[in-house]
Amino acid sequence: MDNKKLIYIHPLPVRIWHWINAVGMVMLVVTGLQIRFADIVSLFTLEEAITLHNYIGFVVIGNYGLWVAFYFGTGKIKIYFPTPKTFLPNTIKQMKYYGVDIFKGDPNPHHMTPDNKFNSLQQQAYVGLMFIFMPLQMITGLLLWRVNDFEKYINMLGGIKIVDTIHVLLFFFFSIFIVVHSYLATLGHTPLAHFKAMFTGFEESH
Amino acid sequence: MKKKKYTSLVLGIFSLLIAPLIFPSLCPAVENEECMECHADDTLARTKSEGMKENLFVNQENFENSVHHANDITCVDCHSDIEKLDWDNEIPHSERLAAVFCDKCHEEEAEAYVDSVHKKAGGKGITIPCYACHGYHYVTHLEAESVLERENGFCLKCHNPNKFHEWLPQMETHFAYVECTVCHAPEVPRYINLRFFDLAKQKFLDGNELLTAMGTDYDGFMPLVDTDSSGIIDIKEFENFTYMLLAKDLRGTFHAELVVAIEPVVHHVNRGAANRECEMCHIPTSLFFENVRFALNKEDGTTEHHQVDRKVLETYYLKHFYALGGTRIRLLDQIGLAMIAAGAGVVLAHLFMRILTIPTRKKKMDHKI
Ligand code: HEC
Ligand code: HEC
Ligand code: HEC
Ligand code: HEC
Ligand code: HEC
Ligand code: HEC
Ligand code: HEM
Repeated sequence: MDNKKLIYIHPLPVRIWHWINAVGMVMLVVTGLQIRFADIVSLFTLEEAITLHNYIGFVVIGNYGLWVAFYFGTGKIKIYFPTPKTFLPNTIKQMKYYGVDIFKGDPNPHHMTPDNKFNSLQQQAYVGLMFIFMPLQMITGLLLWRVNDFEKYINMLGGIKIVDTIHVLLFFFFSIFIVVHSYLATLGHTPLAHFKAMFTGFEESH
Repeated sequence: MKKKKYTSLVLGIFSLLIAPLIFPSLCPAVENEECMECHADDTLARTKSEGMKENLFVNQENFENSVHHANDITCVDCHSDIEKLDWDNEIPHSERLAAVFCDKCHEEEAEAYVDSVHKKAGGKGITIPCYACHGYHYVTHLEAESVLERENGFCLKCHNPNKFHEWLPQMETHFAYVECTVCHAPEVPRYINLRFFDLAKQKFLDGNELLTAMGTDYDGFMPLVDTDSSGIIDIKEFENFTYMLLAKDLRGTFHAELVVAIEPVVHHVNRGAANRECEMCHIPTSLFFENVRFALNKEDGTTEHHQVDRKVLETYYLKHFYALGGTRIRLLDQIGLAMIAAGAGVVLAHLFMRILTIPTRKKKMDHKI
């Protein structure tokens, strides 16, 4: 227990962004479920679900702006991008850790520091998420929000059904992402360690 | 014997009396041409007491294109208080003619119209006459008209719907794809009308244009498309239909919209009667999408319809029509379910392994200390 020290890993803006995003995404999934499956789900009326979904959608889009402003403003965005040289070996090491070594109680090959927060699997997942999936979901959501006004852009993408298909497939992706992401967050040195860190900003380092 | 003769005589006289009613054109009634000698003159007008000019001109060409003319209804069938023209007078008929009653020929509609906010409008005996909506001299068949044409021709002449529907998500899109009466005359049957939009010509093809391009005619269309002769164009047949069009170099899309059947109950429009429950439409079992028809519009404003399987709405052959939830693509839901099952499976398997291997890790920790 002597080698334990606290490192400041999540700056305040990141923590604010993260929890708004988390709550927002869960609510988008729930209202989205109501919208698409009005025949099966009846938590709200369809009218309420659509209104809620639209408002929360804008909160999440605004919040994404906060993420962009913080990471690009401070230049910290580089923690999302792997170093080409060590990328492949690190990925393999990390996969072996999650698949095998973790069960044996071996230490995580990745050492968290404020400048190197994510392991290479996290880097891949989060780059895809923040630079491709989130923007695509926000753009298709925005187009679906005012089908009539954005008709031109919707037709450029191939029609309302195509735009909706993208939005729906990503919806399923985000639904499962939230579950997997929450589970992975229990893989810290104690099950609640990462959760605590996302509130306080401090992670224990061993 | 005697009795029989008597009966036929009565019948004979009776039919003579009734003949003018059944075959108005057979009796020496006033011909349209006679009226048009004066009323085809587009300068014919009179000054009303308020000083406003009232046009008395009837556009012959438009009148001859009207559904009434096509059905041999003449000027005096409607203006029935003119029995003959008195050519000695400057005005050969009464200056004040009786109001025309559409009801006498359109009984069913007139009956349906009684139960309508428009009939009751004003209360003090003022009602909106049929022709405030329909016009009179230039009435055409309504069937072939699109949602926008129907709305512009009727409701939008008097109402600004933007005022009453702020609560309606995608308001403009609803107005563009759902005829007002689909919601406001809840009893009327409705159907999804499919038309083919030619991207090269940038217009909807009517029946003739489409059939000519396909090298067939009205009688040949269904045998060509409905290969199993079920009377319904199913998904497979619809797919082949799209290939057929491509093979003839017809590049375009299918446009779908929700319209009412042209039936008398369409007049049952009442305050607060419209349905505001989105779930009526936006579920896959909704009756609003039960009836899907491909339209071959004819020049006279009528349409030949062919039944299409509603499942076609749930395919990518209609890329530009999606009624949220109601016509959703089921394959996507299956893909989504598979994604969720896979993700949840991995999580559960990992968790299971973690629990299973607790003793191993405990031993290691103990060993370390
Ligand atoms: C000789 C010319 C002439 C002919 C033929 C004629 N009209 Fe007229 N019509 C007029 C004039 C002039 C007026 C305007 C009367 C006025 O000044 O109030 C008029 C008015 C009318 C009106 C409006 C009446 C009202 O109550 O406001 C109708 C309807 C009408 N005509 C129908 C007919 C029909 C139907 C025929 C054929 C059966 C016909 N007219 C034949 C000259 C004619
Ligand atoms: C389907 C029934 C119908 C037919 C057919 C018809 N009218 Fe009319 N007409 C009306 C109605 C309805 C009005 C206006 C309301 C009223 O006066 O009762 C009208 C009004 C008129 C007027 C007054 C000016 C105006 O336009 O409002 C004239 C003139 C007239 N009709 C002439 C004719 C002539 C000429 C013909 C034949 C070519 C004819 N109508 C055929 C129903 C008809
Ligand atoms: C408030 C406007 C309005 C009024 C007033 C009105 N209608 Fe209609 N009528 C309609 C609409 C809308 C349709 C359906 C056409 C469509 O959807 O394009 C229709 C359809 C019709 C049709 C064709 C349908 C069928 O049953 O064959 C007839 C005929 C008709 N109306 C006659 C009348 C008569 C007669 C009156 C007066 C008693 C009248 N209408 C009053 C709006 C009106
Ligand atoms: C003398 C009889 C007669 C009178 C009066 C009459 N109509 Fe008609 N109307 C007909 C006939 C016949 C048809 C054709 C019906 C058909 O094709 O099914 C018709 C068709 C129509 C249609 C078209 C329905 C469709 O198939 O789309 C409308 C709308 C209509 N009339 C409205 C009116 C209005 C409004 C008036 C009063 C101004 C009126 N009619 C007066 C006989 C009449
Ligand atoms: C000729 C003008 C006219 C046309 C066309 C017309 N309306 Fe109306 N409508 C009125 C008037 C006037 C009232 C008001 C009645 C009252 O206040 O009692 C009314 C009332 C209504 C109401 C009741 C709500 C209210 O504001 O009082 C509804 C719903 C309605 N119309 C729907 C329609 C639809 C749907 C159509 C198209 C099929 C249509 N109207 C076409 C004139 C029209
Ligand atoms: C999606 C269904 C829908 C469509 C499409 C629609 N409406 Fe409505 N409209 C409603 C509902 C629901 C109300 C609320 C009042 C009610 O219950 O009737 C309403 C209210 C109204 C009112 C106020 C009258 C009242 O009853 O309080 C008018 C007028 C009206 N609509 C006209 C139109 C016209 C004109 C169109 C076509 C351009 C149209 N509507 C299209 C559903 C619809
Ligand atoms: C990021 C997480 C999001 C999820 C999980 C999600 C989920 C869903 C789902 C499942 C539907 C139903 C689609 C259908 O049945 O075809 C839907 C519709 C919709 N979404 Fe999203 N969505 C998200 C983000 C957004 C955003 C950011 C917006 C922007 C405002 C948005 C706007 C819309 C709109 C407008 C609709 C259609 C509702 C309507 O027609 O009014 N969504 N969403």
